[in-house]
Amino acid sequence: MVLDIDLVGTISTYLGLPPELVRAVLAPLIYPGLGVFTVIVLFLIWAERKIAAKVQLRVGPYYVSKRLHGALQMLADGIRVAFQEVIIPLEAEKPAYILAPILSFAALTVAFAVVPGGPGIYGFSSSMSLLIVYAAISVSPILIILMGWSSSNKFSYIGAGRETLVTIAGEVTLLASLLSVAMMYKSLDILEIVEIQRQTDIIGLVANPLAALLFFIAALLLTDRIPFDLVLGEQEIVQGPFTEYTGVLYALTLALDYGKLYVLMLLFTSLFLGGWAPFDSVILGVVAVLAKTILLLLLAVFLRSVYARMRIDQVASVFWGRLFPLALLSFIISALVAPLYG
Amino acid sequence: MENRSEKEIPSRKRPNLVKAHLDAITIGLKTLLTRKPMTMMYPEVSEEWPEGYRGVIIYFYDKCIGCSLCSQICPPRAIKMYKVPGDKRLRPGYDIGRCIFCGLCVEICPVDALAESKVSDKVFDKLEQMVFDPIDWTFFTKDLQKEQETRRNKVRVIIDEEVGLRYESTVTK
Amino acid sequence: MSSSTLPGMEVRELGTRQGLRLIELNIGAQHPASGHMRMIVYLDGDVIVDVDPDIGYVHRTMEKLAETREYVRVISTIERMTIIDACNVTLPYVEAVEKLLGIEPPPRAKYLRTILCEINRISSHLYGLGLGGIFLNHSTMYMWAFGDREVFLHLANMLTGARLTHTYAIMGGVRRDLPQGFRDAFEKAKRYMTRRLKEYDKIFFNNPVVRGRLENIGVLPRRDAILLGASGPNLRASGVEYDARMTKYAAYEELDFKPVVGEAGDALERIWVRLREIEYSLELIDRALKQLPEGLFFNEKYVKMAPPAVKHWIEKGRVRLPGTYIRLKTKPGEIITRAEMGHGEITYHLVSDGGIKPYRLRIVTPSARNLILFKELPKGHLLMDFPAIYGSLDYFPPEADR
Repeated sequence: MVLDIDLVGTISTYLGLPPELVRAVLAPLIYPGLGVFTVIVLFLIWAERKIAAKVQLRVGPYYVSKRLHGALQMLADGIRVAFQEVIIPLEAEKPAYILAPILSFAALTVAFAVVPGGPGIYGFSSSMSLLIVYAAISVSPILIILMGWSSSNKFSYIGAGRETLVTIAGEVTLLASLLSVAMMYKSLDILEIVEIQRQTDIIGLVANPLAALLFFIAALLLTDRIPFDLVLGEQEIVQGPFTEYTGVLYALTLALDYGKLYVLMLLFTSLFLGGWAPFDSVILGVVAVLAKTILLLLLAVFLRSVYARMRIDQVASVFWGRLFPLALLSFIISALVAPLYG
Repeated sequence: MENRSEKEIPSRKRPNLVKAHLDAITIGLKTLLTRKPMTMMYPEVSEEWPEGYRGVIIYFYDKCIGCSLCSQICPPRAIKMYKVPGDKRLRPGYDIGRCIFCGLCVEICPVDALAESKVSDKVFDKLEQMVFDPIDWTFFTKDLQKEQETRRNKVRVIIDEEVGLRYESTVTK
Repeated sequence: MSSSTLPGMEVRELGTRQGLRLIELNIGAQHPASGHMRMIVYLDGDVIVDVDPDIGYVHRTMEKLAETREYVRVISTIERMTIIDACNVTLPYVEAVEKLLGIEPPPRAKYLRTILCEINRISSHLYGLGLGGIFLNHSTMYMWAFGDREVFLHLANMLTGARLTHTYAIMGGVRRDLPQGFRDAFEKAKRYMTRRLKEYDKIFFNNPVVRGRLENIGVLPRRDAILLGASGPNLRASGVEYDARMTKYAAYEELDFKPVVGEAGDALERIWVRLREIEYSLELIDRALKQLPEGLFFNEKYVKMAPPAVKHWIEKGRVRLPGTYIRLKTKPGEIITRAEMGHGEITYHLVSDGGIKPYRLRIVTPSARNLILFKELPKGHLLMDFPAIYGSLDYFPPEADR
């Protein structure tokens, strides 16, 4: 707790602001928010490319920073993209076209404010924090559809249509698994859920593996990971809703998917892997949370090198026909195992 | 064609769903952990081409009898005959930019005045530099032969039963 | 044709097309998965109503170029139609000229041609398989197939001295004899590839996601396959037992060739036929290497005429040509030859007026024949199935455009 109290306390006395406010700003901006997220997303894209390259008998990123096995490649790409001209198509609806990626990313940062990144590291606590995360994540599909519409491009338009289908199919499953978890812990507060798991020494993955699996698969769908990258669909619709985006705006759309994945995997860590368990101290707790999250992220990106893209009707039928009934089953499991958590 | 049920068609046979998923993930993980890249790190190392590789054509002025057969067979007309001052016969000149490395000129040459080098990755700054008259071609040949011998970091490609292609350094330690 | 403007986007209304309002989608010529062509896809919602393939982006006037060149110079020109399948695409032309010249290649040359043809077929199928993979966004299949293709390019390099544009078969035989160490290298490549095919099955062919993308997609019934004139693996996957290699050119007669035939006729079956043909081609090369007859690799007539100063090369297994070889004079006449390429059957119609250049060379390439399938197969499928069908057809635009 030392580090946390020091940092937040010092800043609040220095600026003469209430510590709650400092906390609520620091968490979304530094950790678990944008600062750490930027580092993680750069690492993750590198890891994704490197893993895929390894499976595919290639070398992957190499020439930028040879000693680090090309780890700075993403930084170089990021700098390039940052200085790239942002081209706005003549037919595009300019305000919506420019604002949609920015707004969707801003909405995502709300989620960073409530997801805990370690013992005592959070923006603000709320008895509804699980629902706040879910709400923050489910704003982005609306804005992605807006992107597809405002780009005034047929590929974007079809991509936006796919986003609609994917969102409806995925979010029902995601919400069902979230609610079954909430039912199991009898709480909607993420901090409380982690505490419950630490006290009983039973992590959610053991208590309700079905909900964990459904959560993971639904997260893959919502964040456009292969095999569910329908919205991007390079071979059919170029980049889906993001086809016309260039420069910084494109980087934002790219980071949006990774951002959602990061938030969902942080949430997975808290809900199913016991958050910072088994540690108490701030530093070890943060390390534990990050390690678990990164492991999940690596698993999510590894699937890219094994699977192809699933067909749209099959995705719909798998999610509605198989996974949604399973989600209902996970409610039953939750009801059965709920006594474990008192 | 007789009607066969779906299951009898060989391509329809499939392992059950869970096993198929596990198979795919296992083979992916196995490759991730055990296999090395097949890539040859090209500009850093370059391939020692196998015997008989058809690279840039080299020319020996002394052997040439000026028969012009090479310029006649050359499919893209990369070889043309030039008049050289102080020489009664026409001599071949070479446009490396047009050459497709087919090696037919070497095969039609009655006196071994042309040969295939093992270099195919020459770089030039300007388009004009890629056109050689007979004298230039002779000097270029000497440069190329020197380069061919002095180029470092060469690897020999060997077909391997386990990993497909293996690269072996030509420098013996 | 009226047009209605949606906010932010224009949709052309094609009221006359079956009374449906359609979206006209241009896939290509600038598109990640179009190749050197454009497909105008008419969509009703997400369902493909019609496809208009628009080809010709890589047309290079091969037929006309052939009329302006001497017979031997034509070979390396037409090779560039299908650079990934160089021996198969030139072989029927060479055989046609040989027949007009009245010369016969020695048996060893026939076998060597067959060996290179099969190596080319394997690398062509691997190329098609790789593209079929990436069309489904299965990047591992893409990279694996292209990586393993290098093995066969290396074999071809050992045999001919070039990775892709071999110009190996020329009138009267082949240009190089079998190099030392080739049998050994091939033996290793065969064992490697056989093992890899099993791994392909695991990660790609039996992968449930891939199966879901390919099964019952783009079904080409046997009757339609014949009526539309499909060729190659696409035809055989529909259950038609036809392969131009059954016409017994080169050494296929002595190799006891039997085509690989599928049944179901869908995209999965087409991929399956390709995988099995790779296996069978390995087997054929093995047989050809075992039965390889001794003797010259080039027609005796030309060997005798070769200049004495360079005859030692022929003993070393490199051909040396006589000066008259440039201006070969054929008998006047017409001839049709065919061969089976990786993509399907290629047909040459060579007309000679007795000169040193072809009077007319008509080429019908397999991809040109398979193009019609783009129009027929995707109808009624989803937009997502379009790349799957494209990938399974193994279409090669430069070949179709000639």
